[in-house]
Amino acid sequence: MSIADRALTSEMASRPDMIQCRGVKKWFGDFQALCGVDLTVKEREVMVVLGPSGSGKSTLIRCINRLEVHQEGQIVVDGVELTNDLRNIEKIRSEVGMVFQLFNLFPHLSVLDNVTLAPIWVRKQPKAQAEIRAMELLERVGIPEQAAKFPGQLSGGQQQRVAIARSLAMNPKIMLFDEPTSALDPEMISEVLDVMKALAADGMTMIVVTHEMGFAREVADRLVFMEAGDVVEVGTPETFFTNPTEERTKLFLSQIL
Amino acid sequence: MLPPHRTGSRFVVHFLSLIFGGSLRVSGSFDAVATDLAVAAHARPPIWRNSTILKWSIQVVVLFVVLGVIWFLADQARSNLSARGIPVGYGWLDDPANIQLGEGIQTVDSPERRLTMSRALWVGMVNTLRIAVVGIIFSTVIGVLVGVARLSQNWIARKVAAMYVESLRNIPVLVQIILWLAILGSLSSLTLDSGPIPGWLYVSQKGISLPRVFLADGFYQFMALMGFFGVGIWLLRRRLRRRQDLLGGNQRVGLRLSAVTVVALTVAWFVNPVMAFMGPIMRGIETAWGSVPEQAVQILVAVAAITGAGWWIRGFLLSHRSPAGMTKLIDDDYFKMVFAGLVAALMVLVITVIWPGMASWMINSGSDFWGLLGDKFGDGRGARPLDAMRPTLTEGRFVNFGPSGLTMTVFYASLFFGLVFYTSAFIAEIVRGGILAVPKGQSEAAAALGLSRAQTLRKVVLPQAFRVVMPPLGNQYLNITKNTSLGIAVGFSDIVQVGQTVYNKNAQTLAVFSIYMLFFLGCSLVISSIVNFINRKLAIVER
Repeated sequence: MSIADRALTSEMASRPDMIQCRGVKKWFGDFQALCGVDLTVKEREVMVVLGPSGSGKSTLIRCINRLEVHQEGQIVVDGVELTNDLRNIEKIRSEVGMVFQLFNLFPHLSVLDNVTLAPIWVRKQPKAQAEIRAMELLERVGIPEQAAKFPGQLSGGQQQRVAIARSLAMNPKIMLFDEPTSALDPEMISEVLDVMKALAADGMTMIVVTHEMGFAREVADRLVFMEAGDVVEVGTPETFFTNPTEERTKLFLSQIL
Repeated sequence: MLPPHRTGSRFVVHFLSLIFGGSLRVSGSFDAVATDLAVAAHARPPIWRNSTILKWSIQVVVLFVVLGVIWFLADQARSNLSARGIPVGYGWLDDPANIQLGEGIQTVDSPERRLTMSRALWVGMVNTLRIAVVGIIFSTVIGVLVGVARLSQNWIARKVAAMYVESLRNIPVLVQIILWLAILGSLSSLTLDSGPIPGWLYVSQKGISLPRVFLADGFYQFMALMGFFGVGIWLLRRRLRRRQDLLGGNQRVGLRLSAVTVVALTVAWFVNPVMAFMGPIMRGIETAWGSVPEQAVQILVAVAAITGAGWWIRGFLLSHRSPAGMTKLIDDDYFKMVFAGLVAALMVLVITVIWPGMASWMINSGSDFWGLLGDKFGDGRGARPLDAMRPTLTEGRFVNFGPSGLTMTVFYASLFFGLVFYTSAFIAEIVRGGILAVPKGQSEAAAALGLSRAQTLRKVVLPQAFRVVMPPLGNQYLNITKNTSLGIAVGFSDIVQVGQTVYNKNAQTLAVFSIYMLFFLGCSLVISSIVNFINRKLAIVER
């Protein structure tokens, strides 16, 4: 069994692959950020990626919707390989939602316009329909009353929830979370994590880069530990936290727990 | 909410207590609010420690000092000039100019149309505005293109744009203007068969001549008709927008609107004489306006000033009300309301005592305006709104504002090219900076949502870049307007050059400079108020 498929239950192994990474390599100038990453994410799986900073976690998920271009290897998302083909890239990006550490909401648009922008302009939905859907999503993340406000008027936690609603508005099959709670005040972290837990419970395929160990332990199907651009260990939450096989994983866990 | 009369008495008492530094005691005969205030006022700091009183009194003192210095200097200048036998004032504006103007809306003195000093200065102002307005448009277009090209993914475009910017902004603009004059002056001389397209476009050392499009008799009727059509088009646009919102997809809003607009323009072009009925209406307004008695205008202006101040104060008080009642006004607020009252009083004073002629001036200029409009509408005159004319040679040269096409003299052209290319280099840098100022995360988020590069630019990056770009862009517009005065180096008849000729003739240097200053101040104020307006519209809501 390759490292990519390790720690899968037989039920999960039978599900179709949503994301396949085969030997993905990426350099920034002379610095190698990814040194041949192999990883498979199954449908409805929640995968949490852990690792020290600079280990390539963010680079990996940014490669998955091609915000970064990998130089070697193969990434297949929902059966479509990421190449220079613009049509493939736009198709994949509209099916893969992404939530950023710094929210990246559009400050010149109201919350409602932030959420409806992509459905109207990419999916060509009628505005009225897009707005109804947006209000549903804002309700789902718990802030329908903020729809008319601008991002600058919201707290960090509210902004991140709007960002999640904005991604969900495209009805993505996969959601990527790039340290979604790292820029938040402690009392706002839980409101964002609650939304993510509800999303996981609804069966969304998710890759989450985070330092929230409680979330990882509770929600993840599998944990991935990366260091220096390599996947060091893949495991279920139980084995990963209580009985890691690799020395480097043990060292990392001893530092953060 | 407090009833108005109570607010008023409260306001008066508070203001008095402010002036008297809290020493004012109010007897029990006032209503309850006033007594409350008197108690509050007792706790005020003494006048020499009250920061608001100090702040405002220092401002008043400074204002009077500044006015005093200006008055002193003006008085000195007046007595010195009188001693040298130079008349003081602006009476010379009606003198015949006897100036040879290089170009402009009127260059020669004729019995029908006298070229007075004021007319000559006006010709100079129009020349300056011609350069400034056209220059602003062209430098913006070129600047935006070059600025975007500097960020292009195309290596050649990027390098060419960089070279353009670096070479043009590092050479003094005066050198560039003179260089353009030298280049244009070295062109071949003008003959009938010269020019790139003989009969249509001539480029020679006399300048650049091209066909001129001008407003013909039917223009005002055409515009009035288009005004009516415009309302219809606007309503249609609203309907189509709503349809787009409801149905989604591409409803071809832009295409349909442009088609309707083209049809409307065509119809208006041919049927515009139907609007001639507006001429007599406007003449009627002219007569009605002219027959208003002076006293009525004085009373009207006075009432308007007082009502305006009253409304302002009322709005001010209302904006300081919360649902629970009046929020506490700070001392500044009281001074602001008193100031509004003083402005109104000053207006009343001006219209009645200081400048009583203002009323008749308003009556005359108002009726003149309507009379002019009435003339423009004519009585069913020629149907064509616009006409065009090719350049024709008269006496071996082109008249630049006659029935002979449009001619850009070499002087105009060299100043124009110099200013436009120089300023566009700066605008390019401003545009580049504005785009780079939008965080990278914004375009990443847009890309992650599946927006194409063009959509990202249009919907996410440019609206935010525009906000950053606007204030420095306004500065460049001010610069180009003021730099038109460099036209003096190439003999372009701008306001500064004409003014210089004027004061060389009649020694009215101070008066001419006061006109310069008012003119450039006026231009700058117009530009900056437009820019500020746009800025406010673009402001991002933060709190």
